[in-house]
Amino acid sequence: MTSSRLPYIALPAGRSRLLVALLLLGLAGLAGRAAYLQGMHNGFLQQKGESRHSRVIEMSAHRGMITDRHGEPLAISTPVESVWSSPQDVNATPEQLKKLASLIGTDIEEVRKRLDGSQRGPGRDFVYLKRHLPPDVAAKVVELNIPGIFLKREYRRYYPAGELTAHMLGFTDVDDNGQEGIELAWQDDLAGQPGSRRVIKDRKGRIVEDVENIRPPRSGRNVALSIDSKIQYLAYRELKQAVEANKAKAGGIVVLDAQTGEVMALVNLPAYNPNNRVGMKGSRFRNRALTDVFEPGSTLKPFTIAAALEAGGIKPDTVFQTAPGTFSIGKATIRDAHKEDALTVAQVIQKSSNIGSAKIALSLPPQALWEMLSDAGFGAPTGTGFPGEVSGKLRPYRTWRPIEQATMSYGHGISVSLLQLARAYTLFSSAGELKPVSLLRLDTPMEGKRVLSRDTAHAVSEMLEMVAQPGGTAPQARIDGYRVAGKTGTAHKPEGNGYAKNRYLSTFVGYAPASSPRFVIAVMLDEPSAGKYFGGAVAAPVFNRVMAGALRIRNVPHDAPSTSVMSITAALPLKGDV
Amino acid sequence: MIYQHDTGNPRNLPHFDQSLIWSAIFLLSLGLVMVYSASISIAEAGRSTNGYPAYFLVRHGAYLAAGLVAGLIAFQIPMRLWQKYAFHLFLLGVLLLVLVLVPGIGREVNGSRRWISLLVVNFQPSEFMKLFMVIYVANYTVRKAAYLGNFRKGFLPMLIVMLMVGLLLLLEPDFGSFVVITAIMMAILFLGGINLKLFTGLIGFVVMGLLTLIWVEPYRMQRFFGFLDPWDDPYGKGYQLSHALIAFGRGEWLGVGLGGSVEKLFYLPEAHTDFLLAVIAEELGFAGVATVVALFACLIIRAFVIGRQAALRERFFPALLAQGIGVWLGVQAFINMGVNMGVLPTKGLTLPLMSFGGSSIVVSCLALALLLRVDWENRQLMKGYVV
Repeated sequence: MTSSRLPYIALPAGRSRLLVALLLLGLAGLAGRAAYLQGMHNGFLQQKGESRHSRVIEMSAHRGMITDRHGEPLAISTPVESVWSSPQDVNATPEQLKKLASLIGTDIEEVRKRLDGSQRGPGRDFVYLKRHLPPDVAAKVVELNIPGIFLKREYRRYYPAGELTAHMLGFTDVDDNGQEGIELAWQDDLAGQPGSRRVIKDRKGRIVEDVENIRPPRSGRNVALSIDSKIQYLAYRELKQAVEANKAKAGGIVVLDAQTGEVMALVNLPAYNPNNRVGMKGSRFRNRALTDVFEPGSTLKPFTIAAALEAGGIKPDTVFQTAPGTFSIGKATIRDAHKEDALTVAQVIQKSSNIGSAKIALSLPPQALWEMLSDAGFGAPTGTGFPGEVSGKLRPYRTWRPIEQATMSYGHGISVSLLQLARAYTLFSSAGELKPVSLLRLDTPMEGKRVLSRDTAHAVSEMLEMVAQPGGTAPQARIDGYRVAGKTGTAHKPEGNGYAKNRYLSTFVGYAPASSPRFVIAVMLDEPSAGKYFGGAVAAPVFNRVMAGALRIRNVPHDAPSTSVMSITAALPLKGDV
Repeated sequence: MIYQHDTGNPRNLPHFDQSLIWSAIFLLSLGLVMVYSASISIAEAGRSTNGYPAYFLVRHGAYLAAGLVAGLIAFQIPMRLWQKYAFHLFLLGVLLLVLVLVPGIGREVNGSRRWISLLVVNFQPSEFMKLFMVIYVANYTVRKAAYLGNFRKGFLPMLIVMLMVGLLLLLEPDFGSFVVITAIMMAILFLGGINLKLFTGLIGFVVMGLLTLIWVEPYRMQRFFGFLDPWDDPYGKGYQLSHALIAFGRGEWLGVGLGGSVEKLFYLPEAHTDFLLAVIAEELGFAGVATVVALFACLIIRAFVIGRQAALRERFFPALLAQGIGVWLGVQAFINMGVNMGVLPTKGLTLPLMSFGGSSIVVSCLALALLLRVDWENRQLMKGYVV
């Protein structure tokens, strides 16, 4: 290496030391900086880190179950998976996107639009692609293994009884909040409290570490309805058959426990399938028995009689003139469907005479009739807590004109709901006490309110029994082996300022066994148009079948002699009724 | 410390500088482990990696093996041959830097034309240019020793070389390598005894030049000032740095544990390359960072000691070569770590011996081999042999 031995070269040791010292000083400075960052400034940096890595995520809570009175599930929540994405992290081949779109059943253009980066923004790191997929389909989505696509556990509501309980239960929206019916009314009980936990996520949104449970999810409470599934099914089946046979526009049945006031069954038609509501009109969701009112017609007559009996002016055998079948008050004329010359008070009920009822009503001060109807629960909500429940219309007696007082006595100029009507009949089925109604199962029955004296209640009850007997307006309501009490109603439907000529609303309200009533059942058919329209011909047979079935289901002992004995006393039934 | 091996019988000396070798082995091994840790998630999610989690580990291991082979070969070559072919190597480096700019040969990544594709690997000429520059400038300084006080004869040719190489690097652009190569050149001239007035003038010139470059290209402005307050725009300009700093903060004194980094989970870009130290800081804490800093300090000291020992034997080219390598590794490590800790503006510079990158690893191994060769020749002379 002679070439390096040049005379002028010198490598000064000082410069070398200076340079190495500078480099080491720099490294020492870095060590100091690291110590500062990691030992002193770390609190600030970790806080900054947390704001980027750490997220609080919600854990869906299980919604409570709705059951019937025996614990039979009517609304249950099943786990489903929702597919969501963080669009900015999605990195999928066109092939993968196609598979994804077909799996979740969404148009591929729609999927592209949702994943579109141009809509990016602070709120764009969470986009639902599809809600509520069955777990097996969701598993296939996971198998696609597309970055930025995730699943979220949610719950979907399922109603095993379908349209049978649709109006009663209502339904929930996609976020599991009650929208109608019991689901809405008892939302606070049914809804659980979502829990939350803190996690660390990677930048693609995947959870890499559980930090802490902030709040565990709390499941919602179960709600037990007063409904008895078997009776509900029975009522639905019979109503459906009757609505179809009579070509009725709508119909409803309410079955009450005569002892406790609990609603054993409540059905409406037309119904809907709550498990698939796609394209359903809102009107189908209405629980007509609670949210619609109608003019009850003759089913209101027993209350007129009861008011008169309470006032003491008349007795069941007091006779009223009903000839010649018309009765004029001012310009208006009241007619009976079947002309009789004279009727006792009991026969006014049995044969459903409008004239008799009007005359009895006019013998009373308006206030007495009004108080009777008001005490029977008309014009006020029943207190079930059902959303949208109506109170009906009972005008103040001071505004009544005589003709109005007369027509009110047989159920016109007043509007009621089917549930109100059924409940009012507990006055006669429980010796003068008005039972509170309940949609929930009661462990201890609520106190009733005494409205009528026992004597009056019994007297009216006896008259109501005559309705279902030969000579009454509804012999078809009679059930073999039981004493049945009830009343028919056939009301012209209001139209404009007057009444429609040939559109009717047929009802029957009754209870059995009359000696110790177990059920009160109200049946209503809206615009039966297959020829028959009298309550005794249209509604009474439905009542008969539902009541007979319910009594059988509950093994209620007979309280009347068998058919053979009855047939001896059988007389020709009256034709038609009002 | 420096002269410890001079005591006792010289013939019983070990053949190699033990602390240099062990520092290097430790840094290379730690680098391999940390590259794996930092890259698992990226490799698993990546499409170019086929979702193979050990993709980067396997490659890094292969680079290390290639570096070892290259180093063993380089070690066999005597210093006089390196000196003899210094200019040829320099020309080769310039040729490569020109080639990388040719469309079709150079591969562009993220707006920079820094790589030449060689079938399976990408080859980065600027990394090799660093080594060639050390050899070339060391030789130049020795050759021009007589004129180092003369502006025209001793200084101007080097200035022209620097401007030419600098221009090629800035055309890629590779600002980081430009800074490192400039530092190497100035340091070797300084160690070689350049006139202090000229040197001061050179520093002034370089500082002016750097400022001009920063001023002319706005993105450098942004990069330059972005590091001063990353929290001003933490999701934009300050994104990368803010995540590196968060990684340091999360690591505290002893780290979150190997494999426990959250920042490497797609938050911190370049976690396995330029920002490997941040992952080390998060997983191994201050203890890990301090170890790395100490190992680099040891490398620098050994390089300078070997250089001085050569200088004492009047072996000037090996002396400058060894010290030049020390400056190179030291400056590049300093810049990379400084960038990671937010005290220097962000550059595309790897952490020597540790970061993922084939060219960087192979060149680092070559540099270590040359350092060991200088040391070995020193020892041979000490033992009385001729080299």
